[in-house]
This record gives sequence, structure tokens and C-alpha cells, in this order.
Amino acid sequence: MSPVVPAVDADALALGDAIAARSPLELFWRRLREDRVALAALTFIALLVLMAILAPLVVKLLGAPPPTERSTAALDPPFGSPTGPSSVHVFGVDTLGRDVFSRMVYGARVSLVVAVVATGSAVVAGVVVGMLAAYYGGWVDTIISRTLDMLLAFPILLLGLGLASACSLGDGCLGVIRPGLPVVIVVIAIATFPYIARIIRGQVLSLREKEFIEAARSLGASDRRIIFRQILPNLVAPIIVYATLVLPQNILFEAALSFLGVGVQPPQASWGQMIADASRSFDAWWLMFFPGIALVLTVLAFNLVGDGLQDALDPKARA
Amino acid sequence: MVRYIIRRIIGMFVLLALVSAATFVMFYALPTADPAVLRAGRQGTPELIAQIRRSLGLDDPLYVQYWTYMKAVVLHFDFGFSYETNESVRDAILSRLPATISLTAGALVVWLAVALPVGTISAIKRRSLLDRITMGGALLAISAPVYWLGLVTLYLFAKDVGTFGIFPGPNTYVGITRDPSGWFGSLLLPWLVLAAGFAAFYARLLRSNLVEVMGEDYIRTARAKGLPERRVIWHHGVRAAITPIATVLGLDIGMLLGGAILTESVFNIPGVGRYAFDAIGSADLPAIQGTVLFAAFFVIVANLLVDIAYAFIDPRVRYS
Amino acid sequence: MTALRAATSRRHPPRRFAVVGCVALLALALGACGGNPDDASTPTASDGYGTALPSGDQKRGGTLKLLSAEGFSHMDPGAVNFQLDFMVTYATQRGLYYRRPGDPTTPVPDLADGQPVVSADNRTVRVKLKRGIRYGTNEKTAVTGREVTAADVKYAFERGYNPSVANGYLPTYFPLAGSQHADGGEISGITTPDDHMIEFELSKPFAATTTRALVMPITIPVPKSYAAPFDAKQPNVYEADPERQAFTGPYMIQSYEAGKSMTLVRNPQWDPDTDIRPAYLDRIEWTLNVDPSIAGRQIFSGSRLANGDTPVPGTVKRFATQAKDRISFTPLGNRFVAINTQRRPFSDLNVRKAFAAALDRRAMQLQRGGVLIGDVASHFLPPTIPGFREAGGFAGTGVDYLAKPEGDPAVAARYMRRAGFASGKANGPSVLVFGSNDSPAKEIAEVIRDALDSLGFDVTLRLLDQATLYTKFCNVESQLRKIDVCGSFGWLPDFIDPYAMLNSNFSGNAILPVNNTNASLFDDQQVNAAIEKGALISDKEQRARAWGQIDKQLVEKVAAIPYLWDKVANIVSKDVHGVIARWNASWDLAYMSLK
Repeated sequence: MSPVVPAVDADALALGDAIAARSPLELFWRRLREDRVALAALTFIALLVLMAILAPLVVKLLGAPPPTERSTAALDPPFGSPTGPSSVHVFGVDTLGRDVFSRMVYGARVSLVVAVVATGSAVVAGVVVGMLAAYYGGWVDTIISRTLDMLLAFPILLLGLGLASACSLGDGCLGVIRPGLPVVIVVIAIATFPYIARIIRGQVLSLREKEFIEAARSLGASDRRIIFRQILPNLVAPIIVYATLVLPQNILFEAALSFLGVGVQPPQASWGQMIADASRSFDAWWLMFFPGIALVLTVLAFNLVGDGLQDALDPKARA
Repeated sequence: MVRYIIRRIIGMFVLLALVSAATFVMFYALPTADPAVLRAGRQGTPELIAQIRRSLGLDDPLYVQYWTYMKAVVLHFDFGFSYETNESVRDAILSRLPATISLTAGALVVWLAVALPVGTISAIKRRSLLDRITMGGALLAISAPVYWLGLVTLYLFAKDVGTFGIFPGPNTYVGITRDPSGWFGSLLLPWLVLAAGFAAFYARLLRSNLVEVMGEDYIRTARAKGLPERRVIWHHGVRAAITPIATVLGLDIGMLLGGAILTESVFNIPGVGRYAFDAIGSADLPAIQGTVLFAAFFVIVANLLVDIAYAFIDPRVRYS
Repeated sequence: MTALRAATSRRHPPRRFAVVGCVALLALALGACGGNPDDASTPTASDGYGTALPSGDQKRGGTLKLLSAEGFSHMDPGAVNFQLDFMVTYATQRGLYYRRPGDPTTPVPDLADGQPVVSADNRTVRVKLKRGIRYGTNEKTAVTGREVTAADVKYAFERGYNPSVANGYLPTYFPLAGSQHADGGEISGITTPDDHMIEFELSKPFAATTTRALVMPITIPVPKSYAAPFDAKQPNVYEADPERQAFTGPYMIQSYEAGKSMTLVRNPQWDPDTDIRPAYLDRIEWTLNVDPSIAGRQIFSGSRLANGDTPVPGTVKRFATQAKDRISFTPLGNRFVAINTQRRPFSDLNVRKAFAAALDRRAMQLQRGGVLIGDVASHFLPPTIPGFREAGGFAGTGVDYLAKPEGDPAVAARYMRRAGFASGKANGPSVLVFGSNDSPAKEIAEVIRDALDSLGFDVTLRLLDQATLYTKFCNVESQLRKIDVCGSFGWLPDFIDPYAMLNSNFSGNAILPVNNTNASLFDDQQVNAAIEKGALISDKEQRARAWGQIDKQLVEKVAAIPYLWDKVANIVSKDVHGVIARWNASWDLAYMSLK
């Protein structure tokens, strides 16, 4: 699904201290504070992050076996099929006899790290590329735009699969992009930055024509000053909006790559991978259910926060 | 106008060439199975293998291989033969296209049928309980991975493996010409699952666009003129709010025609997406190249059509 | 995947596990499974499962349908070397010798008239042919109704060297004089003293093994005048249009659509009086590329159906719990973990022993599907192969590092200390492990990783798709030199004989630059010599004893780590009387019937 950014009132933000008694930033915080749903989602995310960072502690405190420990006893003879929730394994075990709960806790790390790092990289890359294209125009713009078009034309999942597979062997790609988490992050970043690059480019193009830029230039401001002082602040809003839209999508993207088998390497746990395991042993509903719920709740929380941010930035858009 | 269209079409071919080149390079790095060894079979003396390599052109430099490949594609519409099954890639894709089209078309109908009314009503009755519930549900639907939804629905509703066996299970797809009722039944669950996320997204999109449009001045004018509310909403409101939706719709259709890999995998529908996934899984280079080109083609064409449509609607676009 | 099988010559088919149960036979004491009931498989995996044996009250007539997930690898009898392909080949063609379904080790004269005659120096093998066996074809041709002659068998061998046929096992089992530079033309080592007599002259005294190999489909006659123009093309007609073959068996291939379907009908020229096979069925229809889960469900609840290839775990479970008498388990091959014996750290025998002791083979058995799927192996010869009992049978060879199927950390530590790691653990040398990314091979790779981890190694695991794994890495000598462990390995014998089972995997002379099946790069002078000698032994008991010793040596030198003796599962619907050819662990179509 292609993300669409609702219109943001850049002019209002650009006018700075001129009229309002409260600054736009203060208004923004106020509106966010009053949005209870978004706050609840934010709390959930904070707890999730905490749990992910303290994963080993959490697992130990709750008495669950470590995530990489295989328990042959938990596999049902004579077929060796995994057993479901029990007193020893609260969420059951997977096909290798590993505890699902522990793997879920550790799996949170993967989802969060990928989401944040990949989205962050995509945003940075997208902003830089988009601004370069728009500000310098000419052949720079043409080359960049064509490259972006090409990346956008690639079916995303296939691109992700292909890159991940291609870089999954030996020393990876360029020696740096090693198999597993690094590959996934790079793949997701490459697959998603064109969107923001396009949007930023569009925004900068329209900003470039605005009077206050001309004014600044006629006053003798250097390019760099214009970019950092005048343009960038106006991009904050679309950047935030875009990042909040894309972060939950990237969590799902990583899960999809793991589901299709090119995500993190075993024995590292990932929610998408656990769901993939489930699709092979149909009776093992716990393999499918628990990681799936975790994914849904996490993505939902990020979506809610994103909605809240958008509302706070420009209440008109959602009324 | 015509010049604009021609320019865009030329751009389309350039883009396709770029995509195919990029695919070639990218998958050249993929550690694929050695097709010469696969074909040489067990006797596989070094001479025999070398012979096969020569006949397949595997020892030629990359750009020569690329050129040969592109020539075959452009002149003969020949995408080579699968390393794994020796089947013609073009035939393989074409035979799987009906399944993908069936899946896409049906899901499209479902999600539009849901999203349009839901989005409109939610916008009109904004902030009501109905609005909150539907938008909440929509948010939930876009937060769930489509393959997980698929697995859950299969687990609950598939005839032979599910708890409440209502729908036919996975792997039951048959072509519409062979068994229309079977075709319909086997696609019901996939349609619903695939449509869920899209319906949610489009409903939200429509709602937010419509809300914004309804705040515009000309709406107020229309109301002031005394037009009935329903006419205001439909004629002025929805019509304006629909345009961005049409854009996104075009792009999404293009993307889906390239194959909904995840849905096709979970429900085991023999479509193009599934074929692409299997090809990557077995490092089957010609099949991978064929499917990527194919999918990219649909996306680019969809983009093109959307841009041309926009050029009709908004003349300013043509001169940019 | 199909082409891969040709390349790997009866390597285990990918992504299926094989469920085997020879145990049912023990009850009938037919002696085909290592014979002695005292050697019963330790797990009680058998009671109530199907026996799939012929019986006197089978009915004639009807059509049987087979469902396969994979397609055929080869259709040309001269090239065929795969479990699935054999089913068709042996139903439509007759070679020199055949095997009864229940007795995989005894060659029964088929085209031949009597047992082969071997010269005193073991360099000449002479076979007399029966008279009155005629070719049947779909369309009328010059060879329709013509009698099979010795010259046709001679040509069958000669065309095996033709690149358009490319037979894979000729040099291994038939070292014919004058075949040095053969490429489809005349081979001086094969002569036909008369129309019904063929004589093979070997370049070494290899008759003991060659006579046993006379069951292979290379002995299926091909009339030269008919087929020579076909063989000049690439691919040859016997391969590409198998309906045009000249058939000698009870059935003919009436139609074949690659990857889709095949139909067998009765061969009007087949004379039942010359053949031990009853050929009850009138017609056999084969549907290819069926999803295995669907196939399993259809066979379970449908009628007149049987499986073409191995059922998936879900199907096995269903049959084993709800329709025990319709599923049978037949032992056939082995599985082992290949270790690079030529490079540190595993070039040190003690480290290999430690690895063997650390490996949880029980977990690997569970990952493949549990007790029904196979027995945990403690040496390389599986239960049906002569030499199994002599190597120790189910009790094992007696070494301490393979004594416990779950692994024995104490023994592992002891051998690590002997290897010079004072603490009982290595300290981080990096080890490269390759495996297939299909389940259950993927899970097996995890178990392997755990074992190496516990020994203190730093494991790098690379999982690839099957085709790439073998054609680019684990079968390529230059790559194998850089890899420490190839996780997913196993072997199905070309015919039931220990030479066919062990030579390709463990003889130093079998190491090849490509298509190398000696993945351990195991090259031990003593074992090589023993293998060469063992191939020359004619006497059954002597042969079994000698190969039992070789098997023991392989275990003592840890050429690889055996972990499973595979069993192949086969399923039928309720109105089918299935009969399994134990030498192939698959259906013998010429013995099957409907109920």
C-alpha cells in the first residue's frame, strides 16, 4: 500500500513567533497530552522496549527456559511434534522444542531494532536524497528521480527477498552487509527510502518557490543556511508523519521477510519466523497465535501513536 | 497531450530496461545452483559440464548474457527456461496469471465494496460511536500481517484442518473454467483476508480525505445554496475525495498483479507471486528474472495509466 | 529438484522425509530385513501397519491412480537412476535380472535365462537370454513384435556412453574392456556369441559386483536400428518422447506430459508366460505436481489411489493414527553428517569422535518425524544390506562415542581432552557448516550447531536451497575443502549391495571434482584397499563379512557420523492392494491390484 501524507500546513509553522500566543510546538505537545489513546499506546511501546532491553532478566525472573535451549522432552513421541502450553512452557514449544515465551521476549528485540534502525536510516537517506534532488535540480534531479522511479517499480517484497538472498552467503555484500539482522535492515531501508525521498523532494520543490526563500536569498543567505534554517524546519512535520506511517509497516515488512525465510538467522528468534514455523505444523496453534498477537499489538500501538502525532500536528486533517 | 503520453511511454521502456539490468546484476550475485551441473546429470564429466555451460552461454561476460537475454525477451518474448523444471518461464508465468488475476479482482471488489461506504459514513458521522468502532477496526486490520490473518482464518475456518470447517482449505484452487463453484469457494477466504488490510487502509484514507474536503469553502457554498445534504456529500464531497484514492488504487492493482506473494503462499494458490517466491527459494535465475520483470511491468504500466489519467484531469501536469 | 536427483544419483529426495518400516516383515519372517527377529528395531514402530506384500487372492483389472508432488527425473532407461523413475521403468521394461517385491537381495532372471556364468578369473560374465520376448510399441514400427536379441542389450550399454543418454553408473559397476573412450559407439568388451547370448569382458576381475549390478536398468534392451537415430539428438527421443520407446515390460507408456501426467496401458506384446510378474492392473494413471498435502488427503479418503512419492509428515501422522493398515514403512537408505576429514579441526580423529559423542541423534530422528521415520543409526550399512548384521546390527559396533543416541557429553569431553583441549572444550576456532534451508534439514542443522557449540566451537551456519547446496557446494570438491560440515547427507543404494551403499561416499577413489559424493573427502588407504577388495568377493557370506568389517572401520575412523536408517512410507486408499518392491521402497506396479 502506498503511503499518502495528509496535507500539513507548512506556512503556519513557518511563520514562527509571529502571531500565536503559544508556539506551535507548545500547541503540539498540549494536543498530544490530551490524546489518551495515543498515550496508552506510547506506554505500551515503552514497556515493550524495556522488556526487549531486559530480555534475559525477564526470562529468568519468570522462570522460563532460555530461548535457544532445545527440550527433547517437550516433543511428543512418536512423531516428534511440539507440545502446547503447559506448566513448564507457558506458551508451548516450537518444532525444535524451544520455549515459545522466551523466544517471543527475545523476538521483540529484533522487531524493535529493525523498525527503529531501518526506519531511521530510510528517513535520513530519503531526506538527504530528496533535498539534493529538489534543491539542485537539473541533471542531479533527473538521475536521482530516475533511480528512485526504478526502485519504486521493483516489487518491494521481491526486491527484499532478492537482496536478502543475494547477501546471505559468505561475507555478505561488500563485506559489510552480513547475513541476518544487518541484511534485513539494509534491505528494508533501501526498499522504503524512495517513498520519503519522493515526498521530501515534492515538499522542497514547492517550498523553493515560496517568497520567504526568495527573500532570504536576496538578503544574501548561503545555500547551506537556507537549507538548514528555512527548509529543514518546514520538513519536520512531513518527516514525522512519514516516519510514523512507515515504522509499523517496517515491522510487518521484517516479519514478512522472516516468514518467507530470509530474515534473521536461526537460532535468533523473530516473530515472523515463529509464525512461519507455525504454518508448517498446523496443529500447533500456539506457534501461530502468540507471536501473531504480539505483532498485532505492537504494530497497533505504533499506528495509534502515529495517528496521535498526526492529529497533534494538524488537528484539521482528522477533525 | 499526445506528446506527453509518448514521452511517458518511452520513459516506461527505459525504466523496464533499467529494472531488468538491475535484476540481472543483483541476482548474478546470488549463489544460484549451477544449471550446467543440474543438466549434466550424474555422469557429469568435466567435459560434459563445460559443453553445457557453453551452450547456455554461462561463460560469457555479464553484459553479453544480459544482451542475449534482452534480445530474446524483446524480439521473441522468450524468457528462457527454468533451471529447475526446464519449463519455459513465459509459459509458466502465463499459466499462473489467471490465478493471480482471480485473486486480485475478487479482493478488489470486496475491499472497495467495504471501504467506500464505510469511509464515507465514517466521515459523515465523524466522532460518533460508529465512526470510532469502524476506524478502530480498520486500525486493527492494518496492524495484522496478512499471512498471519490467513493462517488464523485457515485454522478456524478451513474445511479439513480448521475448527469450524466452513470454507475450503488451502491447496484447493482450481481454474474457473474447470470448476466454477470450486474456484469461487477456494478463493473466498483468500479474498477476505487479502481485502481486509486494503479495505481498512482505503476506508481510513477516504475518511480523512472526505473530512478535509467537507471543510472546504465550496462545500459551505453548496450548502448555503440550499442543495440537499446528500447531493452535497455525493456530488461534491465524495467526487473530490475519490481522486487520490483512484491514484493509490491504480498503483495497488499494479502491485498485486505482480503477485501477492504472502497470500498466495499461505493459501497455496498457484499464482505468479507463489512462482516468484519458489524461484527465489530454489535460486532459479531465469524464473526470478522473468517474474521480477513481469511484476515491474505491471507496476510501471499502472503508474503510467495513473499519470495519464491525471494529465487529463489536470492540464498543468503535462507541462511539468 | 528433479534434475538434481539425476545429478546426485539416488541421494535422498529433498524436503521429504522417508518413513520406513521393515518391521512388519519380521512378523512374516521373510528374512529380507536383516532377517533375524532378535535384531528387531529397538523402537516398537510396527504393530498393525501395512505389509504391502503380494498375495494369492489378488484380483485382475481396473485402473490405479498415482499422485506425485515431484515430476520424473529421467524417462530413458539408459539414464534412469531415481526411486520415482524406477517405478515406471520396471513396469514398462525388462532388464536382465529382476527382484521379487519381498526379496530385495536375490536377482531373479527376467530377460536372462538362468544365472550369469562367471569365468574363473572373474573377468568375464556371460548371460543367456530367453527366447520369445518381443517389443511392444504404441504405433506400428519396424520393431513392433520383433524378438529381443543380445545385440539389443549390447547397444543398450553402448548408448549409455552417448552424451545424449549420459548414464551415471556405468564406469562404477561395469568396468568394460574397451570402454575407455566410449561415446556411444562400439565397445569391444561386449560381445554377442549368438542372438541369445551376451558376454561382458571386464578390465578388472570385477565380476562379483558386476553380476549383482545386472539388475540395473542399463541392461534393458534397446534395438539399435530403431533407437540409433533417436540417440543422435539432444535430448534423445527415449527421454523426451517416452511414448515412442520399444517396450518389453507388461505395460507401455501410452502418453506423457512432462510435469503433468502419464498413462500406462497394457503391452500387447508382453507374454505373461515368460515373466514372473502377474500384472493385475489394466491401466495406471499418474498425476504429477500435486501438492503433497492434498495428495495425502485424497489418498486417505478417496478410492483407487496411491502415492507416487514420499508423503509429508502430516499425512504420515494421519495414516499412522487413523488408517494403520494402509500405510507401510520400508527401510532403504541411511543418513549421515559429512565432516571434512582433511582439514583442521576435524582432521584430528579425536575431535571427530568428540563431535560424534556430542551429537544428539535422537533429536535428529525426532526432527525427521520420530520413530516411524527411521531408526537411530550407529553405523552406515542399513538393515536391508548384507553386512548390516556383521557390522553389529542394531546393537552397533561397540564404540563409546556412538553408544548413546542422545549423545554423551562426558565422552565428548574426554575425546576433546585427548585432542589436546585440556578443558574438554575448544576455545572458539571457527567452524563452517552448510545445510539445506528446507525443513527438517534446517532443524537438523540446528541440532548439529548445538553439538558443535557444546564443544566450544564458533559455528557459522549457512543454509541454502537444496539445488544450490549440492551443485555449488557440498558436491564440489574445491568448495568442500573449505567447508567443515555438510549437514544434510544420505544415500540410497543403487541396488541392494554393500558396495553400492558405501563406495561412492567413502572411497578415496570416488572423489571427483564435480558431482562428488564423498563429501567427507575421506581418503584412507586401508579402507580404500578394503573397498576395492570387497568388490571382488563373490561368495555371499564372505562378502557380507568383509563389508561388515569395512562398515566398522568407517565408524572407527569416523568417516562421517551416521544418524538414521531411513524408512520410506507408502500409502494407499482403501480399495487398493499395494505391493512394495523392497529394493526400491516404492510400489511395484506389476504386482499391485485393486480390491
